[in-house]
Amino acid sequence: MNKMMVIARSEFMTRVRSRWFILTTLLGPIALIGFFVVVALVSINSLETGEQEIAVVDNSGVLLSRLEHDQITFTRATEPPDSLRQHVLRGDIDGFLVIPDDVSNGEEIVWYSDSGGGSLMNGDLRGTLRSAVRALRVDEQEVDPVVYDAITADVPISSVQLTQDGDERGNVGAYAVIGGIMGFLLYMAMLIYGSVVMQGVMQEKQNRVVEIMVSSLRPSELLMGKVLGIGAMGLVQMTFWAILIAGGTLLSGVIVGLVVDPVSVQLPASASNQEVLAAMDFQIPALDPIVFVLFVVYFLGGYLLYATLFAAIGSSVEQQQDAQGIMLPVMLPIILSIMFMQTVIEKPDSTLAVVLSLIPFTSPIPMVVRVAMIDVPVWELTASLALMVLFIYGAIWMAGRIYRVGILSYGKKPTLRDLARWVRQA
Amino acid sequence: MSGSTVPNLNNPPMHTLNVEEVRKQYEDTLAVDNVSFEARPGRILGLLGPNGAGKSSTIRMITYITTPDAGRIRFGGEEVGPGTQSRMGYLPEERGLYPKMKVGEQLVLFGELKGLTRQQAKDQAAAWLDRFDARSWVDKATNELSKGMQQKIQFIATILHRPELLILDEPFGGLDPINADLLQSVIMELKDSGCTIVFASHRMEQVEQLCDDICLVSKGQIVLQGTLNEVKKRFGRNTLEIDFEDGDAFIDKVEASGSARVSARSRRHAQFQLAEGARPRDILNLALSDVGELIRFELMELPMREIFVQAVTRTQGADAVAENAGGAA
Repeated sequence: MNKMMVIARSEFMTRVRSRWFILTTLLGPIALIGFFVVVALVSINSLETGEQEIAVVDNSGVLLSRLEHDQITFTRATEPPDSLRQHVLRGDIDGFLVIPDDVSNGEEIVWYSDSGGGSLMNGDLRGTLRSAVRALRVDEQEVDPVVYDAITADVPISSVQLTQDGDERGNVGAYAVIGGIMGFLLYMAMLIYGSVVMQGVMQEKQNRVVEIMVSSLRPSELLMGKVLGIGAMGLVQMTFWAILIAGGTLLSGVIVGLVVDPVSVQLPASASNQEVLAAMDFQIPALDPIVFVLFVVYFLGGYLLYATLFAAIGSSVEQQQDAQGIMLPVMLPIILSIMFMQTVIEKPDSTLAVVLSLIPFTSPIPMVVRVAMIDVPVWELTASLALMVLFIYGAIWMAGRIYRVGILSYGKKPTLRDLARWVRQA
Repeated sequence: MSGSTVPNLNNPPMHTLNVEEVRKQYEDTLAVDNVSFEARPGRILGLLGPNGAGKSSTIRMITYITTPDAGRIRFGGEEVGPGTQSRMGYLPEERGLYPKMKVGEQLVLFGELKGLTRQQAKDQAAAWLDRFDARSWVDKATNELSKGMQQKIQFIATILHRPELLILDEPFGGLDPINADLLQSVIMELKDSGCTIVFASHRMEQVEQLCDDICLVSKGQIVLQGTLNEVKKRFGRNTLEIDFEDGDAFIDKVEASGSARVSARSRRHAQFQLAEGARPRDILNLALSDVGELIRFELMELPMREIFVQAVTRTQGADAVAENAGGAA
């Protein structure tokens, strides 16, 4: 067997059997689900504490009777504003409204509470007041309620994306969510597996095993064997999670329901997930298999690129702390690409998105997001992948040179300049 | 490349290691300066020198961990490289094993990296673990073992593939006398089977016991070279050792007489270096007049330890003089 493969095999086997691997593989999804459960609980809780009590100083005399909400109790204020103020601050009531005489002609309603324009004001209360005032106006203008309803009836809008092959696809939002999840997974994968490689290299150097290893095979074989073995481990872990995710795709509906504010789809905040999803016309979107293929390709590409560089850094230092300074330039592009992910999701065909998805150091995350969302032109994919391959070769070449010197150099903490010198002289 | 024979585990081919005018520069230090020597099959070459003399740098080039800036290193006529790496075994001074990996897996990994198949590596590992009375450790993680045990595992990892060239850097460190003897007998067996062995050590008694040839480096250069016997003859039979009981006043008298220099002394032992023309019997007379009892009186060759000190101080002394002169100028 090829010596590189001997190393890869050994790395893979020992790591896959390690406690770390088993724990993260099993606990990863549980932690993720746990996270969503917590989010769900918190939001359900905030809905249920919505048994609000609000005092109303109704100077118009006509609005209070029109205020209706199943979780907010509106009561006529019997005390002067000063004592209402005390009640609010003491927490007896959630706040009070002062409704002006001429409310239907645009005079201002004022809401006093200890949270100012908090979530209550932005959500339910505002909607309730608005519909009450509108109903009042309809009455005053003697508009036929039937006509009014006809005018204000829901205007359904859905977005359909045109694609090259003619398959028009709807619910762009869902693709954005999927793109975002994939991008984030890539981010985690590159960072975590990259640092696993770095740790491994560093430990080999600390234990001094590395000297024996390189008396048996070329440093570059050792480096690449390590990177491949840990990459295979990562692939197994991701595949396991992918199967879980595929199995639990139904969950994505719940997640979307939680993330999306019901008011944004013209529903009361108390609307259930199903109602929100229905309003969004959400269904589990069918993904082109090529998206998964590209996800794996970019995972491997991004991982290879970063893991080799992380390995080079690991070889140059003796302890973790010493690595911080040199890691920054390598980490920066990853951080940039996750920072710009939101922008890419919002406008996947913008120049910024295209440029980011072409540069090898930033391309994996934005490209995967874009591929999940839109039809990326073939030339962009080709160019992005070609550049990626080119840069991986470059990274392996450079990392190999740093590694060769790094693993045998002890004593002083290297700087970026030292690494550059190693590349030149090796 | 010469036409080397097919490796045979029972009767390994015998090859000479040739180090020819090798130089290695690290940043601003010349670690190895024009070093040449050869290590022959079936013999043990002692590679000696003070710390920082260039031994490790030389070994790293032989093992093809680094490459020389100038000169060349051949084993059996073949330039060292990936090809020779799998035919050599290297036990570095700084020991290294994977702390969490099981002993068995570790040995198999090292064996495979030297070109054995998985099965061969397993068989060899089992056989050697038996030989070292360590079969029960197969499934233990390395960090559960004592230092001495780890040392044995490390040695097995070095010889698992029956190397034709063996490089041992302080192989006895951390071993008790019984295990040291076991190790020594294995090294001797390998030597007798035709293995070419390079032995680096600071323990001069071991060098004297094991080595056939000597190569002493200091400051990157060879300062002494030859077979052990030759080298010892070169330093002459001028060492006088006396073991005694009670009364060491004679030691100072001998020194005062100018007939010998004291090179070592303790309460019951004295070692002298005879001056030119001095007669051992004069010293014997001085001793007899003082000591309570004479246990041993032996005129012998200079011990390796003394040879080492002399050879090294001579070169470093010369350098110190040169440096002073330079400073004054």
